[in-house]
Amino acid sequence: MSEGLRLDGLTKRYGGNAALQGVTLAVPDDTYISVLGPSGSGKTVLLRVIAGFEQPDAGEVRFAGERIDQMPAHRRGIGFVFQNFALFPHLSVRDNIAFGLRHRDVSPLSDSGALRAKVDAMIDLVGLGGLADRGVHQISGGQRQRVALARTLVTEPRLVLLDEPLGALDANLRSRMRAELRQIRERLGVTFLHVTGSESEALAMGDRVIVLDRGRVGQFDEPDAVYTQPASANVARFLNCYNIFAGHLDGGRFMAAGGAFVLPNARRAAPEPAYCIRQDLIDIRPSDAAMRAGETGLVARFVTSEYSGSSVQYFFEVEGGRAVEVEAHLSHRRPEDLEPKRPYTLAWHADQALVFG
Amino acid sequence: MSTTLAPAALNEPQVQDPGRRRGWAPYLLIAPGAIWMLLFLVLPILMMVYVSFWTQTTFAIKPILTTKSWVTFFSSETYLSSLWTTVRIWLLVLGCTVIVGYPTALFVGLFVRNKTLSTVLLVLCVIPFWTSFLIRVLAWRPMLGEQGAINIILMGLGIIREPISALLFTELSVVIGMTQIYCVFMVGPIAFMLSRIDPNIIEAARDLGASFPRIFRKIILPLSMPGVVVGAIFVSVMVLGEFATSAALSGRKTNMLGNIIVTQVGSLKWAFAAVAGVVLTVVMGMVVALLLRVVDLRREL
Repeated sequence: MSEGLRLDGLTKRYGGNAALQGVTLAVPDDTYISVLGPSGSGKTVLLRVIAGFEQPDAGEVRFAGERIDQMPAHRRGIGFVFQNFALFPHLSVRDNIAFGLRHRDVSPLSDSGALRAKVDAMIDLVGLGGLADRGVHQISGGQRQRVALARTLVTEPRLVLLDEPLGALDANLRSRMRAELRQIRERLGVTFLHVTGSESEALAMGDRVIVLDRGRVGQFDEPDAVYTQPASANVARFLNCYNIFAGHLDGGRFMAAGGAFVLPNARRAAPEPAYCIRQDLIDIRPSDAAMRAGETGLVARFVTSEYSGSSVQYFFEVEGGRAVEVEAHLSHRRPEDLEPKRPYTLAWHADQALVFG
Repeated sequence: MSTTLAPAALNEPQVQDPGRRRGWAPYLLIAPGAIWMLLFLVLPILMMVYVSFWTQTTFAIKPILTTKSWVTFFSSETYLSSLWTTVRIWLLVLGCTVIVGYPTALFVGLFVRNKTLSTVLLVLCVIPFWTSFLIRVLAWRPMLGEQGAINIILMGLGIIREPISALLFTELSVVIGMTQIYCVFMVGPIAFMLSRIDPNIIEAARDLGASFPRIFRKIILPLSMPGVVVGAIFVSVMVLGEFATSAALSGRKTNMLGNIIVTQVGSLKWAFAAVAGVVLTVVMGMVVALLLRVVDLRREL
């Protein structure tokens, strides 16, 4: 893989708050990268600094070997797709898409035949055939998303930054656009950097996932590695599928509110001790059932459950009010009839837990 | 709306449209305004048209229909030249308010992204209106006169030797005064339209490679045109009907249609005044109709 985007110690502050704190990354060419982080983690700022809308306070942005952080946005060869699409409201679909080619500062395309051919090809690529002469207020949200994408892609950027591109779409359309975005990217062979606050979107779309944690790179890895081996308790928290217990290590056990857990063989160093167990690895048993060999667990009172078709989310409460969630996939078992307020044993394999500290 | 609602109403005859059920009651809301406009706008205009055909003698006016006043108006050098003066001053002031007002609005509406600050700046534009109209107009005299501030400064700097006398009591002073007074009516609507432009749109255009002059021409200007048109309508209607500024700053040398009407009414020549009034109303109507053709306001607002 050739050299793509390289960030080195990128720092950006607003007032006293650091939005980015020394972000260092190397993104390879021709890949789909998703950037996951809760709001306030600096993910939009990161995109804006790479695009050139904001100047970093420290650090370097290199692209294809060239340092670009002092370059104006429009000379970087980087496309940006805005969350609210930011289409030109007074122009038609065709003129929106043609804007970059026609009006760019560097080698604008003035030959109307060539311009039309390029724009038409792009309209076909993103599936907007027949809508070219409509105003952008006369098309649906999903179609506007395509116009925004086409408008950027037609200028042939080598890197496309997408700021929560599916955030403004309804759920149905969102899942369809996921597949389409990936297909379009593969066909063009450019790099997509896709910012999202949704863990499922990040895992589903990225060839690799960057997890941002308060302005730092929490983890940069393949989706399954991020999912099964989060690098820190915070990364695990953003994935929204782990039960995370605070507590302390005492001998061979992790002491948390509600239980003392047997430690797995491996554990990672971290300033704050934390014990994480994925919600779908937990088994629910009657409160008098004994732990099996190699297992650990706790006793918790059942509160309520949430049925979502292929799976059920069970909510438990341990002493002191802490919630524990269990996800059960219905293809493997039948939904269990649990009685509210009754205690149950929640058990899991000690080795499947992740321990930091 | 009514055309899109109709099929639904046919399919579901049980459902009553709550808006329709109230019948004529909502129209009561516009009744005071409508009655007011009918009594004090529509009727007077009709009356004015009627009076313009009355017979005018030196000391009296009789309701005997004649076109004599109209013939006099359109064959008189004085009246026609005042019509031309009105149009000329209107175009000059309109041009000046756009030239002065648009960049100001661009700054306030687009480059100041802090809402509080842009409100403060707009209020600053309105501060001259805290003084009375007469004072604002007359304050130009000590500024523009031969012994005025501008001449003193220019002579003090050695730029001129003799005071420029063309500054006051000329058409120039009328245009200067009107531009100052009416500029804010241009700034307001333009700044409003500009502040509604999503900053992401401009960033998107920049990211697509366009330089600022290009972005201005292709994005900002078209999106602010409704503001320019609304501002132009405000300024046009006010300038076309002006008489006080032109009287005070031209030393009664520049006669706009408004001045003609004031003089004629003053000498009880109601029929002539009515003719000038009808002509002025028609000119204003044409100007507003013309401006509305520039931009489809219904679509843009």
